[in-house]
Amino acid sequence: MAVVTAAARVLGSSRGLGQDGLLLLRRLGVRGLAISHPQRQQQHFSSLDDKPQFPGASAEFIDKLEFIQPNVISGIPIYRVMDRQGQIINPSEDPNLPQEKVLKFYKSMTLLNTMDRILYESQRQGRISFYMTNYGEEGTHVGSAAALDNTDLVFGQYREAGVLMYRDYPLELFMAQCYGNVSDLGKGRQMPVHYGCKERHFVTISSPLATQIPQGEDALPGPAVGAAYAAKRANANRVVICYFGEGAASEGDAHAGFNFAATLECPIIFFCRNNGYAISTPTSEQYRGDGIAARGPGYGIMSIRVDGNDVFAVYNATKEARRRAVAENQPFLIEAMTYRIGHHSTSDDSSAYRSVDEVNYWDKQDHPISRLRHYLQSRGWWDDEQEKDWRKQSRKKVMEAFEQAERKPKPNFSLLFSDVYQEMPAQLRKQQESLARHLQTYGEHYPLDHFEK
Amino acid sequence: MAVAAAIACRLLRLHAAGAGGHWRRLRGAGLPRGFLQPASAGEDAAQWRRVAHFTFQPDPEPLEYGQTQKMNLFQAVTSALDNSLAKDPTAVIFGEDVAFGGVFRCTVGLRDKYGKDRVFNTPLCEQGIVGFGIGIAVTGATAIAEIQFADYIFPAFDQIVNEAAKYRYRSGDLFNCGSLTIRAPWGCVGHGAVYHSQSPEAFFAHCPGIKVVVPRSPFQAKGLLLSCIEDKNPCIFFEPKILYRAAVEQVPVEPYNIPLSQAEVIQEGSDVTLVAWGTQVHVIREVASMAQEKLGVSCEVIDLRTIIPWDVDTVCKSVIKTGRLLVSHEAPLTGGFASEISSTVQSEAKLEKETGSSDSWLICGPLTR
Repeated sequence: MAVVTAAARVLGSSRGLGQDGLLLLRRLGVRGLAISHPQRQQQHFSSLDDKPQFPGASAEFIDKLEFIQPNVISGIPIYRVMDRQGQIINPSEDPNLPQEKVLKFYKSMTLLNTMDRILYESQRQGRISFYMTNYGEEGTHVGSAAALDNTDLVFGQYREAGVLMYRDYPLELFMAQCYGNVSDLGKGRQMPVHYGCKERHFVTISSPLATQIPQGEDALPGPAVGAAYAAKRANANRVVICYFGEGAASEGDAHAGFNFAATLECPIIFFCRNNGYAISTPTSEQYRGDGIAARGPGYGIMSIRVDGNDVFAVYNATKEARRRAVAENQPFLIEAMTYRIGHHSTSDDSSAYRSVDEVNYWDKQDHPISRLRHYLQSRGWWDDEQEKDWRKQSRKKVMEAFEQAERKPKPNFSLLFSDVYQEMPAQLRKQQESLARHLQTYGEHYPLDHFEK
Repeated sequence: MAVAAAIACRLLRLHAAGAGGHWRRLRGAGLPRGFLQPASAGEDAAQWRRVAHFTFQPDPEPLEYGQTQKMNLFQAVTSALDNSLAKDPTAVIFGEDVAFGGVFRCTVGLRDKYGKDRVFNTPLCEQGIVGFGIGIAVTGATAIAEIQFADYIFPAFDQIVNEAAKYRYRSGDLFNCGSLTIRAPWGCVGHGAVYHSQSPEAFFAHCPGIKVVVPRSPFQAKGLLLSCIEDKNPCIFFEPKILYRAAVEQVPVEPYNIPLSQAEVIQEGSDVTLVAWGTQVHVIREVASMAQEKLGVSCEVIDLRTIIPWDVDTVCKSVIKTGRLLVSHEAPLTGGFASEISSTVQSEAKLEKETGSSDSWLICGPLTR
C-alpha cells in the first residue's frame, strides 16, 4: 500500500496508476497488492499529512459532491478489423494470416454451420432429444480457438462447439455425444451438446439445460480460475479460457471468478459471448451497466470489447490477451459482441419474443461466415465454385457421420452406476445388481435391444 | 461473520488459556475485559454447565504409527496439512484468513513454511472458494479449501452438488476433481448460536459423488483428514469446533491413514446399538456408561466417521446382534442423517430379507434414451 501511494506521488496520477505506475510497481517487485503481508501495510504517517491513508483505495480527496455517472450511451468501443463486407479497415491490424490458416477458419465455421443444420433437423424428427445451434456465433469460437495453443484448457458454457471443431474434434464424436451412443466419451450420461474431450483440453460441458429448470447455466468461472492458478504454479505456460454468455455473467459465480482471478493473479481469459439474449431475456433486462466489458476494470481486470462477428478482431484480441495473461499472470476479459441468430435451443421458438426482421438483419447483413468469405474472395483464396464443392462435401461428411451414429447402440445400462465415485461403493454395487435382476425379470418392458450387451 | 469468528476465537482462547502452546497475538482491536471473563465463575453458571456438557474421552495412545505428540484437534489438523504439503508439491491450502493461521489456528505456520503461493487467502466468497478449488483439482493438483464455518457452506452448495460431485460422472471419467478436500468447522460450541453451530451433513448426504467425514478426536481427525486429502473423490471434512481445544490426546507426528467409509465399534455391547459421529460420540459414550450403571443395559457404541458413503454393514451387523438401534446427532431431527440410518437398517437388517421393490439408486440421474 505504501508503495502504491509512493508511486502515485511520484507519477502525479490521481486516478490510479496507468501504465507507468504498473511499470514502477513491477520494478519495485510488487506484484499484487491484495496479498501483502500485514506488517508491510503499516505506514508511518503523521496527522500533518493530508493525503488519504485508507488501506482500501489509492485515491486523492475531492471536496465536490459528485456521483460517477455510469456511461451507457457511449460505452466501451468495439474493436474490429473488417467492415461488414469483409474489407480490412486498418491494414496495420490485419493479422496477415497465411491462406491455409484462414481457410481453416472458414471451413471450421461452415462445417459447424452444416452440422448444426442437420442435427437441429434430427431433433425435430425425433432422432435426438435436444440440440443447440451456434448460428451467428461461429466467429467467436473459431477466432478465439485459433489464437490459443492447443494445450490451453477450455471451459465452455454450451455454445462453443466451434472451439472443438477448430481443434479437429471428429464429427463422429460430436454425433456420438448427441446420440448418446456407445462411442460417446461421456458414456451417454448427458444431454446433447455437452461435449468434452480430455485430449483436446476441452472440459466437459456442464449445466442443466432443460428449459423447465429455472436454475439456468452454471457459469464456470470458479473452476476455470482454479485451473489457471494451478497452471501458473506448474509453470505450464498455459492459459485457461472460460467462455460464457452475457446472461451467465449475471450469476454470482461470475463475480466470484472475476474477483478471484484478479486477486490471485491467474493467467485466464474470460471470454463473454454477448449475443443479445439469454433464452428470451434481452440484454436490457439482464443488466443496466455498459455490458460485461465495463465490469472488468471494477475488478482490476484488463478488458476489451470486440466485434464478435469479425473473426480477425476476435483472433487479434485473444492472441494478445493470451500472450499477456501468461507473461504477466493476470486475467483478461474479452466481451465479444455478436448475435444469436438461432433459437436458444430446440425447446425454444424465438419468434415469441423477437421479430423475424431482426433475425434476418443479422443473418444477411452481419454474419461472421459471410464476412470472412468476402475477405477470402477478395484475396482470391475462394470462389463460388469452391463454395459449391465445399458445401456438398461438408454436407456429405456430416450425413455420413450422422447415419453411422444413428446405427450404433447405446452404452450398457450398468454404466449408470460407474464413475459416481472413482471406486464403486458397496451400496452402488448392490443397486447395480438390483437393476440387473429387475431387468432379468421385466426386461421385455425395456428397449434393451438398443443398448449394448 | 468475521467479527463473530474473532470473538469465538478469543472466547475459546480464554477457556483453554491453561493449555499452553504458542500464542500469537491476534491483531486488531481488543474487546472489553469484562466481556472476556470465563463463564465458569458462580454457581448458576456451574448448574447451567452441567445441563449441556460432554467430556472428551481420549483414546489410548496409538503405538503403531511411530512417535506421538500431545496435540489438540486443531493441532492435529495442522499436522495433517503440514504432512500433506510436505509430501505433495501440488498441494495448496486456501480460504478466508488461512494465511495468518486461520480463525481456529488450523493453518498456523504453514504459509511461512510452504510459501504464499501455497497457503493463501481468498476473497470472502464461499462459492468462489469451492469453484476455485474444483478448478485446481481438475488439473490434478491437490486443493484443500477451508470454509470458515460449516454454517457458511451454503453459497457453495451448487458448486459442491452440481459440479464437484458430478464432475467424474458427467464427463464419463474424462475429468474429475477428486483431489479436492473442503474443510469446515462444524457443530455446537456452546455460544455459537444459529450461525456458528450448524451440522449440515444431512444436506450433503443426499448427494452421490462426494464423501462426508466427521472425526471425534485429534487422532481420528489427522488420519481421516489425510485419507480425505488422498482420496480420489471430492471430500468434505467437518471438524467439530468444540473439540479444537477441548480434545487433547497423543497423535502420531508422521502421516497415517484411517480408512473412509468404515465405522468404528468403540465399545462392544449386547443390548442396544448406539450410533453417533463427531462430538456426540463422547456424549453417547457417557450415556452408555450411565445405562450400564443405572439400568444394567449393555450398549454397543459405534462412531460412524464417514457419513457418505456410510458403513452399512458394520451398523447392520451390530443391530442384528443387539436388536435395537439409537442414533444421536446434533443436527435437527427431521431429515437428519439418523433417518437414513434407521430406514436402511430396518430394510437391510431384516432376518428374512425381500429383494427388489422400491429401490432408489445412489446415482446422479443421467440421461437415458
